[in-house]
Amino acid sequence: MKSVLLVDDDLEFTDIACRIIEYLECEVFSAATLKEAKQWLDTQHFDHVLLDFMLPDGSGLHLLDHINVNGISTQVTMITGHPSVKNAIAQICSTEIGHLTKPIDADDLKQVLCNAGGNNLPNKNKTQSHALYFDCLIGESSTMKDMYRMIERVAQTDANIMLLGESGVGKEMVAQAIHNASKLSGQRVSVNCGAIPKDLIGSELFGHEKGAFTGANAQKKGVFELAQDGTLFLDELTEMPIEMQPNLLRVLETQTVTRVGGTKSIDVNCRVISATNRSVEEIAQNKVLREDIYFRLAVFPISIPPLRERKEDIALLAQYFLNDMNKQNKSSLALTDLDMALLMAHDWPGNIRELKHTIHRAFIMADLQENKLVFPASFDSPFSRATQAPANANPPPQILSPHAPVTPPPVNTRLSADTAVGTTIEELEKELIYKTLASVDGNKTNAAKILGISTKTLYNRLNSYEQTH
Amino acid sequence: MENKQSVETVIHDARKPLNHITMNAELLKIMVDKSISPEDIKKVAEQIIVSAKECSETMQQLLK
Repeated sequence: MKSVLLVDDDLEFTDIACRIIEYLECEVFSAATLKEAKQWLDTQHFDHVLLDFMLPDGSGLHLLDHINVNGISTQVTMITGHPSVKNAIAQICSTEIGHLTKPIDADDLKQVLCNAGGNNLPNKNKTQSHALYFDCLIGESSTMKDMYRMIERVAQTDANIMLLGESGVGKEMVAQAIHNASKLSGQRVSVNCGAIPKDLIGSELFGHEKGAFTGANAQKKGVFELAQDGTLFLDELTEMPIEMQPNLLRVLETQTVTRVGGTKSIDVNCRVISATNRSVEEIAQNKVLREDIYFRLAVFPISIPPLRERKEDIALLAQYFLNDMNKQNKSSLALTDLDMALLMAHDWPGNIRELKHTIHRAFIMADLQENKLVFPASFDSPFSRATQAPANANPPPQILSPHAPVTPPPVNTRLSADTAVGTTIEELEKELIYKTLASVDGNKTNAAKILGISTKTLYNRLNSYEQTH
Repeated sequence: MENKQSVETVIHDARKPLNHITMNAELLKIMVDKSISPEDIKKVAEQIIVSAKECSETMQQLLK
């Protein structure tokens, strides 16, 4: 039986929470002040401490210090009753510290208290600074938590799952999460249905025998066979030519495949997770998917929420990507409150993928002297839903930085109007740097000021461009 | 400005009983699942009523 210490000065809350925790089959003790909590911790071992942020005789963070200083081994989860400080707490709560917002529901408590037991509930990966659900998902919003519950349930079954969500929401990660939660013995095999040439789709899905067609020099297993006892992830399912779909239906119905050019039926057993960025309505209206295939594959549809509908997760995700880049580059850049406000204000039409690239760009442009990221003044993108006045659609470089000179630079300094999707951040950055330099006649100090970076950073960038050419 | 502050205070104060209501309802769900005695369940329901009244009284302050 796990022992839990609940530290909160709201006695009625403590009373109710203690009863719920007892029903979760944990032994629970309570403290209303820091002093009491310290006394408990000094005399007894607790597997878990649920800690209120604000206490009558100090902040819950003081107790964290006490725990660290005295080397007390326990799992800590911070609790707050103030939604406004939720994000701040999410940032403070690092490595092994989770957080909950009042009112706490029984499922949340169960999740937090049962985590350390290493069961099939969402796991907190202790090597990461954020809670990783199913070892790969990040997000504490209620929409994500609803999804975690669905994943947990469906993972225990062998139902086929269809993931619906906009581009960039992380469909492949959700597929991985389901695979991880399913604890299957086989592997997860991914195939992008939109990227396979029409003529090769049969060979890709079902495999082929040697000599089945010109160029088939050896026998090849199809993805259904490769995913035996595991998960087959069919990405961009709705991009599969409709004339190929009956083949897929046959495998799903008979659970057998016949390799191209082969005669033997091979039994296959795998869970199929399919994904599409089209809505159910669009699928039905445009007839991009056969109805029978839809019902076979969408036994359990899961809609992944777009990032703009779970804005509270932006801070967590941004911090996660930044930590990752800091780790790779052995740096310690940080996000300021202003950066966070900027990130929160954007609607992220490209979802998590766009956020990741934005952080990457800001990391590349970072001011290393100030140890901070450098974001553009706005995140305008051709896909943005934000209605912008046409005059603001392509801000000239001189307004990209608050240090910009008042006098407009000469013409020919605008970024290419035809900057297209597919242009890398590095290419854009390079173009921006060279155009800015041109606008100030090559004066690096002025260019650095306009770009909002240090002169040293500018020199570093220019050196790296020279080295690559 | 003063008015805004008082609204914020009322919201802050109302949140506490609302949290109690939510968590007591959670507790009720568990108690029903575990077939706890109707008397005990009734006590929790009564606490919910007390909290709801407390919340209502707190919000009444806005009209004063």
